[in-house]
Amino acid sequence: MCDSCGCDLTNNPNHNHDHDHGHDPRVIEVHQSLLAANDAIAAQNKVHFEAMGVVAINMISSPGSGKTTLLEKTIERLKGKIRIGVIEGDIETDRDAQRIRAKGVPVIQLTTGGACHLDAAQIHKGLHLLEKEPGGDKLDLLFIENVGNLVCPATFDLGEHQRVVLVSVPEGPDKPAKYPKAFISSQIFIITKTDLLPYFDFPVDEAKADALHLNPRLQVMALSATSGEGFEAWIDYLEKLSGDMITS
Amino acid sequence: MHEMSLVQALLAQLASLAAEHDKKRVITVTLDIGPLSGVVIDSFQFGFDILSAESSLTKGAKLIIINPPASYQCIRCAYKQAAVVRPDHCPKCNETLLIPEGGDTIILNQVEME
Repeated sequence: MCDSCGCDLTNNPNHNHDHDHGHDPRVIEVHQSLLAANDAIAAQNKVHFEAMGVVAINMISSPGSGKTTLLEKTIERLKGKIRIGVIEGDIETDRDAQRIRAKGVPVIQLTTGGACHLDAAQIHKGLHLLEKEPGGDKLDLLFIENVGNLVCPATFDLGEHQRVVLVSVPEGPDKPAKYPKAFISSQIFIITKTDLLPYFDFPVDEAKADALHLNPRLQVMALSATSGEGFEAWIDYLEKLSGDMITS
Repeated sequence: MHEMSLVQALLAQLASLAAEHDKKRVITVTLDIGPLSGVVIDSFQFGFDILSAESSLTKGAKLIIINPPASYQCIRCAYKQAAVVRPDHCPKCNETLLIPEGGDTIILNQVEME
């Protein structure tokens, strides 16, 4: 591409670039996303997921909203029906991966060493590591548990098919309004720890309305992984998502 | 503070543009940061001030940030409006559910170098 005028040289074989189009030669037109490098790897990741026949789900929430517990219960419920793999993202430690490994599914822990989010390049690396784990190359659903943070992960496409944002009852119902990007960019919003509703002021309808105000296409669920309340809608959604890839 | 990661991506892009065009110093950098990009502009500016000072290529460079509008489409009557700050309702039919479109990009538009 011509750096001065942005024209595509391949389509303009007669275009002579001895001239400067009257532009200041010090000014270079770029018009490229700062996320272009991340997005290009994310697109490759998506191709990789599809070649594996796996549906990838990126899970975003604050620390402590119950992502790992939700995954533990989900694995228990779907064991023998849907083949699940997990990529865990944390700043430090492999504690979450240990919890998931104890459930008997292939898992890889990515530690970001301080970074507040996972990016597409880390997922690319994680996917290759996961494929070397027993059963890691034959999956129906891949959960990517992002670093606990409701802000930064929302900006980085990992190549996932679905993005799920979670808010737990103790965090309060104002999270959609305060952290809009995660809700605008997700397909599913899950309110977790609903067994704690009697002890906290969390108007579920208000949180739902705030989230739908930001993103009217958002599908909202409310559940408790501990009591099992509302869990069926989540399981139904996952079964539908993995569709004809269910082995049985 | 993912703004730091984005500033690092910007500085890497500036370094490769300078090498490609044989330039030694960046004077101004013009970026579009959409209102739904999830980027806090003050944090981005802060990160740029700190990291740009570390290299002679970018030391003293000026950052110009433009905040283009996003588009909001009414879920009921499909009317589209452009706005930087999210509107409360559709001006045609008063519906409050509006689907956001665009406004989520972070684009490096122009670099002035010598």
